[in-house]
Amino acid sequence: MIPADVPLGPPAPSANEPAIGTGDRRHGSTRAPMAGRAWGPLRREWMKLLFTRRTYVIWAGLLAIPFMITIALELADSPPGPGEGPEFLSRVLDNGMYVPLASLAALLPFFLPLAAIMVASYMLAGEAELGTLRIVLLRPVDRGAMLLAKWVTAVSYLFVGLLIVVAGGLVFGAVFFGLEPMVTLSGSTVSLAEGTGLILLTALFALAAMTCMISLALLFSALTDSSLTALIATVVLYIVVQLLVSFSYFDWLAPYVFPTYFNDYVNLFRDPIAWRPIGKAVLVFGLWSAGLTTTAWLLFRRRDVLS
Amino acid sequence: MTEGESRGATAAAPACEGRPPILTTHGLSKEFGTLRAVDGLDMEVCKGDVFGFLGPNGAGKTTVIRLVLGLIHPTSGHAQVAGHRVPGERKAALRHVGGFVDDPTFYPLMSARRNLRLLGSMTGRVSEERIDEVLEIVGLSDRAGSRVGGFSHGMKQRLGIAQALLHAPELIVLDEPTSGLDPRGMKDVRELIRELGRAGTTVFLSSHLLHEVEQVCNRAIIIDRGRVTVQGPVSDLRPKGLAVKVLTDDQGRAAETARSAFGPGAVSEDDGYLIVKAGDDVPELVRRLVADDLDVRAVVPATDQGLEDFFLELTAPDESQERPPAKARGLARLSRRLPGGRRS
Repeated sequence: MIPADVPLGPPAPSANEPAIGTGDRRHGSTRAPMAGRAWGPLRREWMKLLFTRRTYVIWAGLLAIPFMITIALELADSPPGPGEGPEFLSRVLDNGMYVPLASLAALLPFFLPLAAIMVASYMLAGEAELGTLRIVLLRPVDRGAMLLAKWVTAVSYLFVGLLIVVAGGLVFGAVFFGLEPMVTLSGSTVSLAEGTGLILLTALFALAAMTCMISLALLFSALTDSSLTALIATVVLYIVVQLLVSFSYFDWLAPYVFPTYFNDYVNLFRDPIAWRPIGKAVLVFGLWSAGLTTTAWLLFRRRDVLS
Repeated sequence: MTEGESRGATAAAPACEGRPPILTTHGLSKEFGTLRAVDGLDMEVCKGDVFGFLGPNGAGKTTVIRLVLGLIHPTSGHAQVAGHRVPGERKAALRHVGGFVDDPTFYPLMSARRNLRLLGSMTGRVSEERIDEVLEIVGLSDRAGSRVGGFSHGMKQRLGIAQALLHAPELIVLDEPTSGLDPRGMKDVRELIRELGRAGTTVFLSSHLLHEVEQVCNRAIIIDRGRVTVQGPVSDLRPKGLAVKVLTDDQGRAAETARSAFGPGAVSEDDGYLIVKAGDDVPELVRRLVADDLDVRAVVPATDQGLEDFFLELTAPDESQERPPAKARGLARLSRRLPGGRRS
């Protein structure tokens, strides 16, 4: 197993190299850490994500939504009436620009949060389950940096997913219904370029909303060694909150919980754009996300890794 | 007097004999709820040691390794790894350490090479040439591009050793590295550990294979119930009393004679021989046997009374303090009912 010509360590350094730590420089472990500190953890997390099958299944599922909306409306005998189905659905037959919007509207209440939860809940608990968490933490990595890298990776992963929805929706919309200038909720018309910009802003708003779901799932992921437990706990909590705020008795609670603001993206389609509610929603998302991620960090930094 | 000494250990207090310690623990304790898994552990591993870490199942070996490597937090006490306090300076300490705890695990859809590249990048720059080298050392060169998900347990063990070697760390911690390997693989790994020791790398080897520790380690520690039972040079980890194998024409009478001279605990039987812990009084033993009109046919040193016997002696449950668990009591009852079962 040990060929004679293979050294067990890197070659000895020259005599004028300074000694670091307690060891001599024969040992590679005393080398300077890799360059690009910030990108290293992110690149590694993306690498792990790209070598996981569910990554592609979720992206494929997201792409399926605009495709299904397009096909369903193309094959329908009559268009859906105003107020039927997700926001903007009734406008799709007249203008393919509404396909990505209707898709985002359809995704936001449940499927998009579910995708966010699936990715984030696996981030720590999945690694603990697989056993790779302990082999990773035997390397000189900072737990906080690792958690942050996982959060950023989950957010950027979902951003790619949203781009897939938008791009897929525009392509399907163009092919089946054609792309026309959009009519806002206020009745004014915006050009194709402005309309595309509004669709991208909607996607970014959805992403901001999903950062809360990612942080919540990451928090549960830091608490358990089972990704399924983390996923179920997050989904249950989300459903409970949704149910609670649907009762008038809990109206007082609604302003404080982030799902209340998920549909505030419609304010982008007023003329002029109602930035105030959008800004408030983004602020709430940011506060929740920061609070939940900080809590996850506080728990993870002291957590005993027994998996 | 330590527990080990009271049971006849010859091992002295830890001594690095001028070499700097690379891994020490100071009153290291860990509690899980009401269970005290590690109890005030003081241990010293010197630079250049191939250090055996022994203990029965549930003794707290893996918990100690996890504590030392910062995977879990101690209830009290701390470890000092390559001059860095753990916890607290975990990151700095781990720059000097390679290894694995329990079974090494990897990302199953990635190749062996990609796994090494990914893990290696967490410690520092790692070249493709170095990855080739460590894969060659563990005999996985021809499977470098294969997905780890398809690897056998033994191959994963080898890959675990490869990732531990990547940065040629000063201290390598291996948790039962030969587990799951075929005899050839075991031999290779032991040879590798010896090679690492000769090259000046400190190896901390946790193993339940006592002969493995005897073969490759120069110093060892035995822990039981989270406490140090004994530590010192492996050559010293022998029962204190010198034992001899005795063969006479009447082993029954010879046993009685030996018991009357050295006490009941000093006499046992093994494969037709009497094993007598006579210490320096072997001539006295022979005189008594002859005086009792016994034909002494052989008296030979019991050289196989090695680490294994010592380990069993040290880690034997203290019957005066503990009632055997229900399962063991049930087995004992069953044993008595079987034909030829012992009736005590």
